[in-house]
Amino acid sequence: MTFSHIDIKGIVAPFSAVGKVWEHPGTVCYPDQTKTVAPGYRGFHTNDLDACIGCANCQDVCMNDAIDMVTITQERNPKNKSACIPRIDYGRCCWCNLCVDVCPPDSLSLGQECIHAAPGSQDFLFFPKEPS
Amino acid sequence: MTYLYEQYDVQEKHPRLFAIRTEASTLIETLQEVTTHTEFVTLAQIACTDWIEEERFELTYLLTDRARSRNLMVKVPLPRTGGSLPSLAFRFPQAEVMERDLHEMYGIVFEGNTTLYDFVLEGWHDIPPMRREFDTLAYVREHYDFQRGRTDGKDVKVEQKRRREEAKKRKAEAQQQAQTPEGAPHGE
Amino acid sequence: MENRLVTIFHGPQHPGITGNMSVELDLLGETIHRARTHVGYLHRGFEKLIERRTVIQAFTIVCRICVPEPDPNEENFARAVEGLAGIEISERAQYIRVMVQEMSRLAAQLLWMGGQSGSIGLETVGQWSLYDRDLILDLFEQLTGGRVYHMYTYPGGVRRDLPEGFLRRLGELLDHLEKQLPRYDRTFFDNATLRKRAIGVGVIDPDEALANGYVGQALRGCGIRRDLRRDNPYLVYDRLEFDIPVFDGGDVYSRALVRRGEMRESIRILRQVIAQMPAEGAIMQKLPKHRKFTLPRDDIYVATESARGEFGYYMAGDGSEYIRRMQVKGPSLIHGFTLLESLLVGEELSNVALIMNSLGICPPEIER
Repeated sequence: MTFSHIDIKGIVAPFSAVGKVWEHPGTVCYPDQTKTVAPGYRGFHTNDLDACIGCANCQDVCMNDAIDMVTITQERNPKNKSACIPRIDYGRCCWCNLCVDVCPPDSLSLGQECIHAAPGSQDFLFFPKEPS
Repeated sequence: MTYLYEQYDVQEKHPRLFAIRTEASTLIETLQEVTTHTEFVTLAQIACTDWIEEERFELTYLLTDRARSRNLMVKVPLPRTGGSLPSLAFRFPQAEVMERDLHEMYGIVFEGNTTLYDFVLEGWHDIPPMRREFDTLAYVREHYDFQRGRTDGKDVKVEQKRRREEAKKRKAEAQQQAQTPEGAPHGE
Repeated sequence: MENRLVTIFHGPQHPGITGNMSVELDLLGETIHRARTHVGYLHRGFEKLIERRTVIQAFTIVCRICVPEPDPNEENFARAVEGLAGIEISERAQYIRVMVQEMSRLAAQLLWMGGQSGSIGLETVGQWSLYDRDLILDLFEQLTGGRVYHMYTYPGGVRRDLPEGFLRRLGELLDHLEKQLPRYDRTFFDNATLRKRAIGVGVIDPDEALANGYVGQALRGCGIRRDLRRDNPYLVYDRLEFDIPVFDGGDVYSRALVRRGEMRESIRILRQVIAQMPAEGAIMQKLPKHRKFTLPRDDIYVATESARGEFGYYMAGDGSEYIRRMQVKGPSLIHGFTLLESLLVGEELSNVALIMNSLGICPPEIER
């Protein structure tokens, strides 16, 4: 190794990184702290069953065939002529929001939740919760 | 550009995008002429579209100029079976990998390209998958399992019709009940 | 004992590989005699999937083609569909799209810094730059609803309007990033270790670069000033002022300096976009319903300058509501094969990761 030119600045300047020790870290100590989720975040679905009309527009537009229309156990909206509501397969859903865009009564939307863990893939068939 | 307009029938798709057509037999000659006499000197992409109804592929050699500001499409038709094209790897080293990709995905043979081995798929024994006759849904149904628990989905149009007819039937029955009150003697 | 050629696989599991790809190396001692790139670990068949999806359904697939930098893909898809269907978008939508592209460029350059610093051993810088990138992703979360896959740039405009106070928060983030740049200079770009490792390594010949179709920093790092935003402008780039940084060395260090300059220029462009953003304008043009939105029988080629070079889409329609063909040509197709295999010959084994990171090779866009 030859030292034809000693790069003093290049050797000394990186030590300024030590200055970061006195700065507050940007890491969020999850789960003691949580980050605020932005409004409009595309998380898990919510469906207002009093407004859902069971038209299956969401099933038609879903780009990955993730939505099944399933008979509702307790009828909520007299305008729901098929008595069906959407159930979404989260193994296939890509949270693209197309189903929300085409929903005529605007009952379906994407909420803020995003965490789910389960051992079996059949636990990923979700009926959207009611909006809070 | 004047050379291009004199020698070929140029279609202007956009102020900076042009297209000419040629045949497979004159492909090398056309590209040599265009890259020597016009400003389009570099090969940027080789694209292939499968027109299965017309029994042909259409390859588009996309050339770009030194200023990287304008593009020229050179379109070449090719029969879907038995067609082959000369390789451009002798002139443009980047054509080697592009031709390898098209060979794997469409089955097009590029004569003179010695690197037509696997590009992306390993151990693939079916037909080249980008060809339109390859049905991915049928392949998946044959080789993989679908998600369990999704057998109770309904077709909403069928449900709507069924419920309408049930409602009509119930209404008709209710009307009949209303017209013949209970306990009234029949036939008197 | 005579010298023998030893063949090893560099990757696909290797901290120096930018994604999942491997390079098969024939080594004579520590020197590379021949390199051959292998991809295929990340093939998802997107181009075949798009055959069965209508135009609007296909737009959700497109952003996944390049993982570090999804937005040029969305922009290309949107412009290709608009070019085929003859849709004009409003000025406000164009400015918003430029803003998204430049934010994505900044995030990609910060991610590159993470990879490049890791390949030399300066991992501290990588941790900082990924934190700064996270702040950009927070802004994307507010704007689009997703952090990495935005699905926001849509044929006809953009999907949502800017949230309340977004431009102010973007300006504050740019102030923060501008304060961080001298820190990156001191610890990374002026670092004696980087200069000793990277100067003179992986030198690209300028004539070969133009003839073989290299793009992005491979050109700008050897003194050739080419940038699609200036040479083949799209959106409103012809109204914005920015320089194109160019360095002459042709080596890994020059390419790093080019990226450093581009980060500064992106911040400059974003400040102009904040100042010039029109207050009024339609966010989206009205489009037909998704099963009635047909493309004419025609084809088009559109290209966007991504953080790594020219990203091109060839799209052909056939008169139906399905796209007949969409072929993706990212910068990594040529860089990962033609350029990398020729650059690695004669280099040392320890420099493979260094060179790969400097070219910004992204396997997802090679294999889609």
